[in-house]
Amino acid sequence: MAIDMSMPVLVVDDYNTMIRIIRNLLKQLGFEDVDDASDGSAALAKLREKRYGLVISDWNMEPMTGYELLKEVRQDPGLSKTPFIMVTAESKTENVIAAKKAGVNNYIVKPFNAQTLKTKIEAVFAES
Amino acid sequence: MALADASHFDRLVDFLKQKRDNVTFHDIISLAEVSAQSLQSFFQSLDAKLYRELREIAQYIETMRHEIGALQVNDLKNSRIPQAGEELGAIVQATEAATHTIMECAEAVMAADARDPAAYKALVDEKMLVIFEACSFQDITGQRIAKVVETLQHIEERVSRFANVVQAKDLDGFLTETERVRAERKEKLLLHGPQLAGDGVDQSKVDEMFA
Repeated sequence: MAIDMSMPVLVVDDYNTMIRIIRNLLKQLGFEDVDDASDGSAALAKLREKRYGLVISDWNMEPMTGYELLKEVRQDPGLSKTPFIMVTAESKTENVIAAKKAGVNNYIVKPFNAQTLKTKIEAVFAES
Repeated sequence: MALADASHFDRLVDFLKQKRDNVTFHDIISLAEVSAQSLQSFFQSLDAKLYRELREIAQYIETMRHEIGALQVNDLKNSRIPQAGEELGAIVQATEAATHTIMECAEAVMAADARDPAAYKALVDEKMLVIFEACSFQDITGQRIAKVVETLQHIEERVSRFANVVQAKDLDGFLTETERVRAERKEKLLLHGPQLAGDGVDQSKVDEMFA
């Protein structure tokens, strides 16, 4: 499936620099409509206000982690099909397994490069 | 330790054998004196043992006081640990500022109009220099980190010495309420943080799990 580059993307991270990095990488890939949130609960609020085509989220945030956000998204009938990529420093096997079980579409371990982000986004929409 | 001098009890027995009737007040006093004398040796030895044990306790307390003083907890609490915290805060600020500068340069280069090669090259050269300058943060942050490490080593030495001298034993599973809540959250939400090289999975392993 061809990726709709005009779709809004939501980047969730409590670290402003990482949001800026991902935003720039997405811009290079052609995504122009990029919003951000600093934790899972702020992201959930935005997801319920606007239809996003992709969520790219960190794991370790407060008060709501990306893992909790993922579970909330998958449990919400209006959001459950939203493509969700975890981009995180959490690199233990149990984290990857838990995220996969919770319904994440793909998982990127920090630090990462632009090619990895591009490949994973393409893979998510290829599955769709 | 003998409970009493046996000869004193012999005197007591002799006395009791002699007197059956007409016991006087004087007899009772004499009896009390004999009993007191017989137990005197017992109390003397008891005093000596108690004294030794109390002295050992006093010496232990004195040692503990000395070691607590040597730990210099007030210096750690009021000076060294807060300073280490400030150094770490300064490191975060410096790395954030450098990252911001580098990213601004990158964004400027990416957004620049390349149709005028000379102007474009001048811009790129200018921004590259700024990036090199920004990278000097690593020198200062490296020195700050060294100071924090030194503080941690200082704390470790003091605590190790104290633990060895007082033969400290850990209370199994002791956590303050705040620590307990934090630990439960970490366990429930799998919050491990970044792993050291070799401890976590790399991207290729993750990709295999999603294949």
